[in-house]
Amino acid sequence: MTARILDFQDVELYYDRVYALRGVTLELTEGETVALIGANGAGKSSILRAITGLSRIKSGSISFRGERIDGRDTASIVSKGIAMVPEGRRVFPYMSVRDNLMMGAFTRTNREENRRSLDSVLERFPRLKERLRQTAGTLSGGEQQMLVIGRALMARPQLLLLDEPSLGIAPKLVQDIARSIVNINREDGVSVLLVEQNSRMALSISHRAYAITTGNVVISGESRELLNDSRIKAAYLGGAV
Amino acid sequence: MEQVIVNGVYLGSQYAMIALGLTLIFALMNVLNFAHGQMYVIGGFVTYTFYGQFGLPFVLALLMSCVTLAVLGALIEKFLFGPVIRRSAREESTMLLAAGIAFLLDALILLVFGEKQRGVPKIVDGVFNWDFRIIIPYDRVLICVLAILSIVAFISFMQFTRTGRALRAIAQDRVAAELMGVNVNRYSMIGFALGAMLAGLVGGLLVTITGVNLGMGGPTSIKAFMMVMIGGAGVISGAILGGFILGMLEAVGLAVLFQYGDITYLAIFVALMIFLAIRPQGLMGKPWG
Repeated sequence: MTARILDFQDVELYYDRVYALRGVTLELTEGETVALIGANGAGKSSILRAITGLSRIKSGSISFRGERIDGRDTASIVSKGIAMVPEGRRVFPYMSVRDNLMMGAFTRTNREENRRSLDSVLERFPRLKERLRQTAGTLSGGEQQMLVIGRALMARPQLLLLDEPSLGIAPKLVQDIARSIVNINREDGVSVLLVEQNSRMALSISHRAYAITTGNVVISGESRELLNDSRIKAAYLGGAV
Repeated sequence: MEQVIVNGVYLGSQYAMIALGLTLIFALMNVLNFAHGQMYVIGGFVTYTFYGQFGLPFVLALLMSCVTLAVLGALIEKFLFGPVIRRSAREESTMLLAAGIAFLLDALILLVFGEKQRGVPKIVDGVFNWDFRIIIPYDRVLICVLAILSIVAFISFMQFTRTGRALRAIAQDRVAAELMGVNVNRYSMIGFALGAMLAGLVGGLLVTITGVNLGMGGPTSIKAFMMVMIGGAGVISGAILGGFILGMLEAVGLAVLFQYGDITYLAIFVALMIFLAIRPQGLMGKPWG
């Protein structure tokens, strides 16, 4: 029996007086990759911000492995085993690649463990190894994306939240990044919640998906089936490559 | 010539420390700490009290200056800047608050330490004299060396420790730092305490040379802002560079311009205005916007 890792129940979230989520419910089972697809401004990122406590929810509840986490501060939520790769990558631009990665392990103070985490991240992203001393701001977009995913993995999370990892990245690298997301999920057993505008990519690497429109979940189901769902095709897969 | 350079390096080492504290606070919290000069003055008075009045060893008095300012800085962040930043959407609020704290500290200094100029006994006697080309009292040499060591220690701390890394992370991307599990409120407090401590340390060092009085706070703040503007706000290398440049300008000005009267700072201000018109982000700073 697999356990529920994330329980997102009937969450409402407002920015000032404008709602971003009105009663969104979704859940993640351990070991799953779940995609959130939908247009810009539909509320996908707000779901991730709510989970990590960057935005306060108005009502509803969020539980991680059965424990309520809504209302807690970001630092304590993150240290429970949730890592988030924010939209726009957000590397620490004037720090070396190495220091960026070490920041990922900020909540873990065991040096030996951190060294092992670093080794395994560098094994997964060999390009970062060549650039350990380089300033992160000078990396290409794709390299920065690898860096922030690696940075998130340094914390050895149980749940990885990815916000638009393909945005602004060369098509060839999108493939690489999609492959590493699959590997992280399969090999490391990390549950993944993936927010993507590139719906085809998101559906092809996830187990299940939720389509979000203006703060509501409108369709949900197995990703394989959604790829052939006429509504999804019309709304999200139209011109997308 | 040699004498001017030595004077410039000596002044620059002190100035760089003041600018470092100011720029650290700015980088972390986006706060212009107008009370920085007053913190420097308090540092001077604390060392005066413990070393000059109570006769404790100088190093111990210096340590007391650091501790006092670190505690004061932490309290100011926790109870004044922190809550205001969280509640107010406007940046002017923190500027007003900073100005208010400067006045408050001035009043406190007057109340606790009085309005008189205070000095302390020399920490070391004697004068270094190299063939009358470089003449510098040994106590200045010692203070300069201590300042440079402190700067090196500060940079190493920021570069190589976990806390230093967290502070740099907050300065570069507050949200990303939060997502790494950095408790930004706690680390803002630590950073503010550290910045205030640097101001107090310079105050304690310089009281042995120039003494200290109530009126030094405002001008010191202004000098600190000039250094940060020259070097670029929020950049560590910029603060150090700005400090040494201002120190050097002052030394040169005093040597060259003194015959025309006390116009060194007039000339520096004019030069700074022209410089900022050409390069508003400072030497090392990143352009705004």
